[in-house]
Amino acid sequence: MKRLISIAVCLWAFTAVLLAQSNPLVEANDKYQKGDLEGARTLVDKAIQDKKLAETPEPWVLRGFIYKDLYKAAPDAADAGLLRDEAMASLYTGAGLDSAKQYSDNALRAYAYLVTTVYNDAVHALNDMDDTRAITFYTKYKEALSRTDPGANFAERDIDFENALGTLYTKRFNADRGQTGWYDKAVATYKQVLQQDSTNYGANYNLATLYYNRGVYNIQQISADNDIPSIQQIQEASRAFFTLALPYMLKAYQMDPTRKETLLGLEGIHYSLQDEKQSLYYRHKYEALKQDEGKPKEP
Amino acid sequence: MKFRVETPTLVLRRVRDVLRKRPSVCLPILLLGLLPFLAGADQQRDADKDTIAIIQASYIYNIAKLVEWHDPGARTGPFIIGILGSDNLYQELVKKYSMRSIGKQPIEVRKLPLSAEVDRCHILFLPKEERSLLPTLLHREQTRSTLIISDYPQALSEGAVINFVSASNTLKYEISIVNAKKHDLDIGLTLKQLADRVVE
Repeated sequence: MKRLISIAVCLWAFTAVLLAQSNPLVEANDKYQKGDLEGARTLVDKAIQDKKLAETPEPWVLRGFIYKDLYKAAPDAADAGLLRDEAMASLYTGAGLDSAKQYSDNALRAYAYLVTTVYNDAVHALNDMDDTRAITFYTKYKEALSRTDPGANFAERDIDFENALGTLYTKRFNADRGQTGWYDKAVATYKQVLQQDSTNYGANYNLATLYYNRGVYNIQQISADNDIPSIQQIQEASRAFFTLALPYMLKAYQMDPTRKETLLGLEGIHYSLQDEKQSLYYRHKYEALKQDEGKPKEP
Repeated sequence: MKFRVETPTLVLRRVRDVLRKRPSVCLPILLLGLLPFLAGADQQRDADKDTIAIIQASYIYNIAKLVEWHDPGARTGPFIIGILGSDNLYQELVKKYSMRSIGKQPIEVRKLPLSAEVDRCHILFLPKEERSLLPTLLHREQTRSTLIISDYPQALSEGAVINFVSASNTLKYEISIVNAKKHDLDIGLTLKQLADRVVE
């Protein structure tokens, strides 16, 4: 409530300052208050053409709010991104010019809101399996946030994003195994995560699974048309993928030996590498874990 | 020129409206997750993910093409591949090879009961889990011209003709020419050349 009052007071002050300023800005504010966003937009765009006015924070802050509301009114419109960009640029400029700190708090809060929508768009793009859009929005999000918070630490969020991107590439590859470009991108993305954090469980497990599944897929493609030399060639190619998978799955296992999926992973990799002893070792561990889970918990 | 100053109440309402719609937190990245592992889960590995069974089935089909059965009775009727145990191998053979023929003989894949009382087969696969049946099987009339294949280290010395072995993390096979002769079989040169080991 306190914050609401503070914003209201700020806008009061804003309106009072406008009283002393020239017409386009006053009219723009009037139209904005009445909800005529398009009218306000035309006028505020005219206002910032005035060199003198453009050196003051008011037209920029007002423009930022107008464009923000235009964006919010139609976030899925073709020009929504452009409106948001204009809003962010104006709010940032306005806050920068506001040496008296009359509007900065509100402007930066609105800016932060828009930055969040950029990030959320990156997440939506990931869920829509649109990697290009996701990368574009995520890059824009980082740039926008760094502008107001130059020391922002993205490490954790970068890892989450890249892991999700790796999963997206993997799903694309699984949908069309002929497109090995997706596979290469997935590998590169998980490796990028591991460069930042070699103990990232998801990246270790997912990279191991990606390699392993590729080896299995090769073998699954064996048909009646394959002669013995080609069976052996396929096995050698798959062996290379199983061998690549093993250290990453082991790393994931070492990080958390109680995860069933890594025990199954190690069991499967060793099985496909014809290492029955190790395969059984992990199979027994998996079964023991399952049995433990079935036991009633101590009160 | 005059312009109307909006009341604080109205301004406040607009601000409230803005705040109501504000996303307070960034959305979590929901796509992040662990990829499904292809290995079969619980007790039984899925047939289409059992890499060893897939390779064994392919070898068996190729072996069938590269061996000659001297027994005239084996040259007519369906080409029978009998499988003891090994559900996944059986399923893989049925899925990929049961529509094929060896020469003019259409392939018939049979899942056999776990007993030494087996039907006459051209090829009989006996997994290591059922190795105790081998001595009895070898003395049965029905297996006189049967190519017995197994998958454990001493299988050739115990009478199998072909044995699957692990070599450099891949699946290969070894052949006993002596045992092949006992079953009236002629192992083709290509099959011998590509074997990991040939016991003459």
